[in-house]
Amino acid sequence: MIRFLRIAFVLVMALLCIAPLLWMLSMAFKPPEEWTSAAGQITLLPKNPTFDNFIYAFTGEAAGMVVSLDRTAWWPFFASLLTATVGTIIAVVVGTMAAYAVSRHKVSQGLGLSFLQLRIFPPLAVMIPVMIMWAYLGMIDTWWGLALIYGIVTLPFSFWLMKAYFDELPREIEEAAFVEGCSPWRTFTRITLPIVRPAIASTALFIFILNWSDYLVALLLTRKEWTTIPVYMNALATAVNGELFGVKAAVGLLAIIPPVILGISIQRFLVRGLTFGALKQ
Amino acid sequence: MTEAPVQTELKRQQIKMANWFTVPSHVLLAFIVIFPLIMQVYISLTWWTPMDGEPWYNAYMSFSWFDNYIEIFRDADLWAAIWRTLLFVAICVPIEFALGLLLAMAFYEKVPLQNVLYSVILIPMMVVPAIAGYTFYLIFQQTGPLNILLSSVYPGAMEINWLNNVTRAFAAVVIADIWQWTPLMFLILYAGLMSVPDDQMKAAALLGASGWQRFTKIAFPRMKAVMTIAVALRLIECLKIFDPIFVMTKGGPGVATQSVSLYLYKQTFGDNNWSYVAAIGLAILILLSVIAGIILSRSAKSAAAQAKAA
Repeated sequence: MIRFLRIAFVLVMALLCIAPLLWMLSMAFKPPEEWTSAAGQITLLPKNPTFDNFIYAFTGEAAGMVVSLDRTAWWPFFASLLTATVGTIIAVVVGTMAAYAVSRHKVSQGLGLSFLQLRIFPPLAVMIPVMIMWAYLGMIDTWWGLALIYGIVTLPFSFWLMKAYFDELPREIEEAAFVEGCSPWRTFTRITLPIVRPAIASTALFIFILNWSDYLVALLLTRKEWTTIPVYMNALATAVNGELFGVKAAVGLLAIIPPVILGISIQRFLVRGLTFGALKQ
Repeated sequence: MTEAPVQTELKRQQIKMANWFTVPSHVLLAFIVIFPLIMQVYISLTWWTPMDGEPWYNAYMSFSWFDNYIEIFRDADLWAAIWRTLLFVAICVPIEFALGLLLAMAFYEKVPLQNVLYSVILIPMMVVPAIAGYTFYLIFQQTGPLNILLSSVYPGAMEINWLNNVTRAFAAVVIADIWQWTPLMFLILYAGLMSVPDDQMKAAALLGASGWQRFTKIAFPRMKAVMTIAVALRLIECLKIFDPIFVMTKGGPGVATQSVSLYLYKQTFGDNNWSYVAAIGLAILILLSVIAGIILSRSAKSAAAQAKAA
């Protein structure tokens, strides 16, 4: 009986986890006349399934759409990919170097706490000066401006995660290299980095997901040219068709595929990632 | 005798490299902390807004001393938003914790299709929060699937607009948050549960402890640190909540779902009160730093006490 209840509970929860996304899927394949209609007439599954929403999002033209879309989804997808990738590279490179220094040579011990503080504050409480600075430096609505802030806000994760790995790594290997006459820099690049390469890869993928998932920072620091996909998607509307429910569902669905696939592929790493390396699975 | 100087020379080189390695971090931190902090203090003491047409460094022209800070105490909307956010956190986090813990317990012994179900349950937390918000925006529409499903069990067509009523809109954003973040609680608590030594659980079972007793008497006391981390993570993130609410309701109807972050957004872009937002931001910064400091020093003390006892 308990076993039955247990399995039933798990199945219900799994269904509840997936059901909202199935509705997105259904919406993505519905033609405009099925997006909103009087309650009771709308159906769970599309009556006339069509790819028009996807076609419209990427070409700007589709049957049933009166006006063409002035901005297709290609560029926002590229903007998301570019800013999230460059932000990830900044965070991982800077974070790994600092983590190695702090873990191995006990310099700048206060760095870790400063990074943690960075994560506690609500972004909107500290964004006023950042917006002024970004405007002053001409970084509003540029890919490098957005990538830079992504790199900074995810730096705490890369620092703490990599520090946890360096703390675990036995020193003997590096010390053997020193005895052989290897310089500190050569030891770091030739011995240590290759060993922690899998850790760097997991950390980078994890941080990429975080950057890709951002909405607020892009909302504040981009205007038109470099809006990322979540901002673009939520603003999709035309004067004639109004809010483009189906197109938004189609774009949204495509935008969650990369983080979901990456997330599941590193699911063994997620506990560690989310807890800044404090917990291992 | 020749060994020692080589050692110190190596050590010196290592420290030198280590110091260079922390330079980029220090530069980025200075860039994002020191300048912005000075600017924020400066602007919070003025009436400056970008609408003035004056650059920010001329903000002293409308110097206002501490008027913005005094305003914080008189601002009923802000306090309402603070209480609303706390209520939101007080509802969401315990429910997410309870559901996550129950799920972790359900997964403790084998479930059919364990790996598939585990992955499926983790999916919500990987969805971009703003897109999760849009998903729930669709679900709670008057012509949305929720009303369709309710119509099939309830006589007559359901035509509830979930997002235009004060209570229902609040419930809707709570449900969206629970949907998205219960998996995170589950993930962390399950990892904690699996790290409880297997032999202790088996021994308890042999001694006749029921499943429930094994969890409450053996596993939970050993999971205290994990539970604390899971709850702390959710508390911090939940207090900052913005994306899904902004997408679902924009804080409405009226101010029914206006969290602190949404209030700050509205003050910044709706009312252009940049200096006031800077003042509120600084107050939040100081408050959170004090709280974090107290918690950190207390946990450091208890860690020291534990080390002494051991």
